[in-house]
Amino acid sequence: MKKRYALLFSPTLVEQPIVSKLARSYDVDINILNADVASGRGGKLIVELSGTEQDLDASVIYLSEIGVIVSEMVKELLFNQDECIDCGACTAVCSSGALWMDAEARLQFDVSHCVVCGLCVHACPMCLFEVSHEREA
Amino acid sequence: MAKTVAQINEKINKGTVVVVSAEDFSAMAKEKDLKELSEEVDIVTTATFGPMCSSGAIINFGHWSPGIRMEEITLNGVNAYEGLAAVDTYIGATSESKFDARYGGANVIEELIDGKDVRLHARGKGTDCYPTKEIDTYINKDTINEFYLFNPRNAYQNYAAATNSTNRIKYTYMGSLLPRFSNITYSTSGELSPLLNDPYLRTIGLGTRIFLGGTEGYVVWNGTQFNTRRERTAEGIPTLPGATLAVIGDAKQMSREYIRSAYYEKYGVSMFVGIGIPIPVLDEKMAAHLAISNEKIITNILDYGQDGHPSVATCSYSQLASGSVTLSDGKKVKTAPLSSLAKAREIAEVLASWIREKRFFLSEPVHMFPTDSFVKPLVPREGGEK
Repeated sequence: MKKRYALLFSPTLVEQPIVSKLARSYDVDINILNADVASGRGGKLIVELSGTEQDLDASVIYLSEIGVIVSEMVKELLFNQDECIDCGACTAVCSSGALWMDAEARLQFDVSHCVVCGLCVHACPMCLFEVSHEREA
Repeated sequence: MAKTVAQINEKINKGTVVVVSAEDFSAMAKEKDLKELSEEVDIVTTATFGPMCSSGAIINFGHWSPGIRMEEITLNGVNAYEGLAAVDTYIGATSESKFDARYGGANVIEELIDGKDVRLHARGKGTDCYPTKEIDTYINKDTINEFYLFNPRNAYQNYAAATNSTNRIKYTYMGSLLPRFSNITYSTSGELSPLLNDPYLRTIGLGTRIFLGGTEGYVVWNGTQFNTRRERTAEGIPTLPGATLAVIGDAKQMSREYIRSAYYEKYGVSMFVGIGIPIPVLDEKMAAHLAISNEKIITNILDYGQDGHPSVATCSYSQLASGSVTLSDGKKVKTAPLSSLAKAREIAEVLASWIREKRFFLSEPVHMFPTDSFVKPLVPREGGEK
């Protein structure tokens, strides 16, 4: 599995080779998506870790124990359902089963099926969907 | 025995009128004899709540002092028509802001209906009787004089469904059409839709009182692109877009529950309009029209991937409403509505309650619409007659 994290470092931690330690000891692949790190003033890394669930959990525990502040990055679909007029235009493009019209012709939304493809964002004539900017959970 | 509109209005007055929605009437017609039903039910309410691009509003701003003969009129940055005397305008729903393509006339109309302030900017040449050359101010529905919707083409009779044969997604006024026939969209309330219940417009004409945007409105002309020459089914329903209506109503009394601005990706701004039309059950023949159900309403599925939008299949509304349609090559294609059936049902119910509460009486048309009318294309021509 793959998960994205924001890692916050204190100035002293910046001096440590944390990323290579992670790769060697925890068997995870690390993709650095963004880095803002400088010697003497701490920093922030956005990384995508891939490995087994156990390896990812162990990596997070390791990072937290040495003092890195770890937050998982999540991307999600936000839906302003109060303004929905139940037209159904979004169901035309939703293949995940997250959006459908029920027997009463009302729109139903089940976020657990959503794969955050974003097609509904452009399909909704009321502009009620938004893919959240990646945020720290 | 046949009934007249006057007799039905008398029943409203007495509180004995029987009103049902077109969906309920269709269900009743499956159980009961039409003759019996035509005697039992007096009025059938029909409704629709869908995007209707050919809509707009007339506004009279009131006179500025000293006067201005307004030109280059904008409302929240959206162009409004300048060719109506000094301080009258028409703002079309699809007129778009110069600053934000997602904001247009429909948004201005919705905001005014909702009581919000809207910025008005206009210029004038400066004449002896209208010396002011520029104004920049705010208006709302309480500061302006008349503010009424006048929609040249609403309530399409059987709008065709849409699909897309090409290899890329098409963003259209029929929604996002996925590549290679991967979805079909349709915009109708089907058996609840006004002009599918009176396919020859026997009871609907100039002066017909209707529900429009949350208040009482009127049919004032046939809509533009009024087409009576379409092929019809045995029940008289055209299989391609047929009749349309021009409607009018006081926007100050409307509500954004039933008038909503819309934006279709890479198409532009449109407006959802809520319309409800009461149809008197005059006789058995009218009852037969009103008994129409989704299985009997046939429409064409047009390919928006090709010029001229050729038809790729026909299907019934019950098929469209089922969630998928199987095309001739065996491909099962997902269907999705674009007009809100839930809202249309609400409108049919609200209209029925107004009638039962003696707040709404039927009107008889004073002029009927053309029985032979078709839609001409715009053909390129050279020159012009001298």
